[in-house]
Amino acid sequence: MPSPRERHEWLLFVLLIGPNLALFAVFTYWPLIYNFYLSFVRWNFLRPTKPFVGLDNYANVFSSAQFWTIVTNTFVFAFFSVGLTLIIGLALALLINQPLRYRNTARAVLFSPVIMSGAVVAVVWSYIFDPRYGLIDQFLRPLGIASPNWLSDPAWAMPAVIIVYVWKNLGYAVVIYLAGLQGIPRELYEAARVDGAGPWARFWHVTLPGLSPIAFFLSVTSVLATFQAFDIIKVLTDGGPVISTTTLIYHLYTLGFVSYDAGQAGVVAVVLFMIMLVLTIIQIRYLEQRVNYG
Amino acid sequence: MTVRDETILARPVVTKANKGLLHVQRFFGYLAMALAIFLVGLPVYWTIIAAFKESAEIYRIPPTWVPLNPTFENFSRAWNAAPFGRYYINSFITTLGGTLAKVLLAVLSAYALAFLRFPRKDLVFLVLLAGLMIPPEITIVPNYLTVGRLGWINTYAGIIIPSAAVAYGTFLLRQAFLALPFEVIEAARVDGAGHVRILLSIVIPMSQPAIVTMALLALVARWNDFLWPLLVTHTSDMRTLPIGIFWLRNSEGVINWGVVMAGSLFLIVPVLLVFLWLQRYIVEGIAAGAVKG
Amino acid sequence: MTQQMLTRRQMLKLLLASGSTAALAACGAATTTQTPTSPPANDEAETGAPAVVSEPGSTVNITYWGSFSGNLGEAEQAMVSSFNAAQSDVVVDYQFQGNYEETAQKFTAGLQANTIPDVILLSDVWWFSFYVAGMISQLDSLAQAEGVDFSDYEPALLNEGVRQGKHFWIPFARSTPLFYYNKEIWAEVGLPDRAPETWAEFEEWAPQLIEREGTTMRRAAYVHPNGASYIAWLFQPVVWQHGGQYSTDDFTMTMTDSDTLRAAQFFQDSARSNGWATLVPDINTDFIGGTAASMMASTGSLAGLTSNAPFDVGVGFLPKETNFGCCTGGAGLAIPSGAPAEKQQAAMKFIAFVTNVEQAGVWARNTGYMPVRISTKATPDMVNFFNENPNFKTAVDQLPLTQAQDAARVFVRNGDQIIGKGLERIIINGEDPSTVFTDVNAELTRVAEPILEDLREVEG
Repeated sequence: MPSPRERHEWLLFVLLIGPNLALFAVFTYWPLIYNFYLSFVRWNFLRPTKPFVGLDNYANVFSSAQFWTIVTNTFVFAFFSVGLTLIIGLALALLINQPLRYRNTARAVLFSPVIMSGAVVAVVWSYIFDPRYGLIDQFLRPLGIASPNWLSDPAWAMPAVIIVYVWKNLGYAVVIYLAGLQGIPRELYEAARVDGAGPWARFWHVTLPGLSPIAFFLSVTSVLATFQAFDIIKVLTDGGPVISTTTLIYHLYTLGFVSYDAGQAGVVAVVLFMIMLVLTIIQIRYLEQRVNYG
Repeated sequence: MTVRDETILARPVVTKANKGLLHVQRFFGYLAMALAIFLVGLPVYWTIIAAFKESAEIYRIPPTWVPLNPTFENFSRAWNAAPFGRYYINSFITTLGGTLAKVLLAVLSAYALAFLRFPRKDLVFLVLLAGLMIPPEITIVPNYLTVGRLGWINTYAGIIIPSAAVAYGTFLLRQAFLALPFEVIEAARVDGAGHVRILLSIVIPMSQPAIVTMALLALVARWNDFLWPLLVTHTSDMRTLPIGIFWLRNSEGVINWGVVMAGSLFLIVPVLLVFLWLQRYIVEGIAAGAVKG
Repeated sequence: MTQQMLTRRQMLKLLLASGSTAALAACGAATTTQTPTSPPANDEAETGAPAVVSEPGSTVNITYWGSFSGNLGEAEQAMVSSFNAAQSDVVVDYQFQGNYEETAQKFTAGLQANTIPDVILLSDVWWFSFYVAGMISQLDSLAQAEGVDFSDYEPALLNEGVRQGKHFWIPFARSTPLFYYNKEIWAEVGLPDRAPETWAEFEEWAPQLIEREGTTMRRAAYVHPNGASYIAWLFQPVVWQHGGQYSTDDFTMTMTDSDTLRAAQFFQDSARSNGWATLVPDINTDFIGGTAASMMASTGSLAGLTSNAPFDVGVGFLPKETNFGCCTGGAGLAIPSGAPAEKQQAAMKFIAFVTNVEQAGVWARNTGYMPVRISTKATPDMVNFFNENPNFKTAVDQLPLTQAQDAARVFVRNGDQIIGKGLERIIINGEDPSTVFTDVNAELTRVAEPILEDLREVEG
């Protein structure tokens, strides 16, 4: 039996979190459930009826030759985007988190792509990538290197998308890391120094543990965000050339808003959700255990 | 700003042994900054100068690094292409409303998750996190129907409320709250402080950088949001700024890049200013936290 | 996450599919005809109109959803204003709803929530879906009441919107592909100042037009768009020129016919073994930048290209192969079903006005779209305009030779992208055309199946 005090706390918990959850229920979970239902029917968004078709939509999606390429693309994109963002972001944050002049300027510049709309960013980069008069070619030409055909060559399109994505989101990781770094109580550094810990020891025993909640947060949200990264791909490559940069979310968009096949789009929505759910649970299981809540 | 940074961040104890190391460290710090500013700043610079170029110059090969005939004409053409004044007002209202709602919901939810007892709290947390796993693309049609049933089509409520729920910010703040020194909160509790006082006088001030960061990201997302406001509004007087930029794209058989980039700056500059202003609070919040801690 | 969907590429798609550009204005004085406030007195659409909604004092307010923004939006707004000024029975409120895709999405969503307009602009690949779903009205009796003379509409454009002898989709902002070439490069290599008559002739010219630097092609003789920029729209006429087709009228897919494959092989060779063409996402930029000497593109890009290119732009009919072939594209107007009769009639009054002989000319001159009325071409304003813009004359002259696209692209949902992605595999990956088009044929057939089912329900 919970004590009255405990019960009071439960009630408060519900009051505080209730409005948020209620909004989620209506505007986020309901659409998910609706999509789950749609994955078993045939519907083109226009017909008055939605005949039940069992697992037909699932069979259609999974039997498509492209589907597994698309799944691979999704993981390749997520892995490299998250990995590069988190590692480069940490290195930059650590280097910048010193009493340096123009530190705030650097942070502002780094953060500026984050606040730019993805479509604008992608448009600018499509110029930069142009093999004949793009910025990259301007730098490669004096070196005698021919610029790859970034956006028209299936081998280079995915790296190009990853570069732009990392470029746009790096500043976000840096700012989050910096907020985390600055939240580490300075007394801990002092104490470590008094104990005779060198810079490396301080990094391993103070900085990293102090940063771990924020790093955990970044890894989870970055993975989830890359699985839903849409506008850069849409503008930069439209999922091409052929399907070399088509990810699950782009596939979902195509099925839903180009093919108007609500059933198959529902299948991909369910698959995408399940993948993200599993990845998040794994991260919570294995990462949050190691997170140090000071 | 730099002075304050120095006072906050400079390590007071500098022994001779690590003084050299500090110099090396700083050198790499500056190097990293320079590289980052160059790699990140160049495309940004590119965007900005395009707004000042005449349209023929934008298509020039090789490209020019400084506009040959800098012109403000792109800005006036962009401004006159759509009722941008009205769009700004609508964007301010929906962005402010949406951001305030998100900050409030996130602080309350994160406080509950971080400090209150509840059976299977981890499950509640996961349920909230699941909000991050549902792509907005799949919510569009069902939400349009819901908003239609509520009679909110073409209203501010219709623009703001469907995206007011906050999973991301709740998560960020929960992490920040959990990282606060437990002893401080415990001490306050022993002193008889209630939840309201703990939240207002300890948790919020000490997590200011995280809250400001969260608010900024929410603000950016609202400000740039395009698809939903376009779908849910039907008339020009309810439209928001990104839709105005959209107007510019369709202007000629070949896009006038200068005008589009000028319009993009209408969109970018306000958030950039907000960021420059807010980042002071991120730093000050740390100072406050340091004093209290 | 999905903000600002209209990008340069999509913009281009829009242009390719539709044609746009108010900058024709820059080319000639004739564009000052922006003030069509003179009542269209001698237009049959007005004279014969019975006063269905003209009880004194009653004004019908209707909403029009369109995809025109920027200069096109201004031209559209001007047209709406002149309609509102020219009569007192109907007031039209024009509301921009995004590009064609988004307008159609909003219409789809609006149908669910019952928030729909009274007139809507739908593109060539969209109207049929709404027709099959029974969401747009048959217009014949409404048009008759307004005295619309369908016989004066360009048949190539009008007949596309006709099902079982009934009109559902009235041509408004329509375009066709055109062959564009860079006159400066043409002169530099000593070619005659005209478009090639045949693809064989162009293949003879091509080697002179190319410029290489090591392995990089600095200048291509010709440039293809990618699938997302509607290569399937530009491949359509090439297939016809080779004697093939995408599909027959009864939705039998013919992607693997030998002539269709021959056309695919021609596209593959152009970029691979013969190496005179490249494939890029944005062909207009390459053309303006001089890195491609020629291309096929929408008539709607004409004015924009003319004003932005630092050289003289030449245009011509599409080259022939076995025979000539050219298709139409763009958007037309429809009236959603379910609205009260009074609103529908008011909507028809508006459609009749914007496609009357005079307004069709105003619209064509202001935007670069094809004049949808036959007699518009003979009006003095139009004749003047042709004299000042011979390139636009060429585009209009080609119009009677065009035909409606094959069902596989415009009636099969996503057919455009299915074919486009197939062409990317053939051109970029160098895959065997017959293997690829066998896949494409199967996919088109599968996707067409439910549409055929619906069609049988609607048309019996």
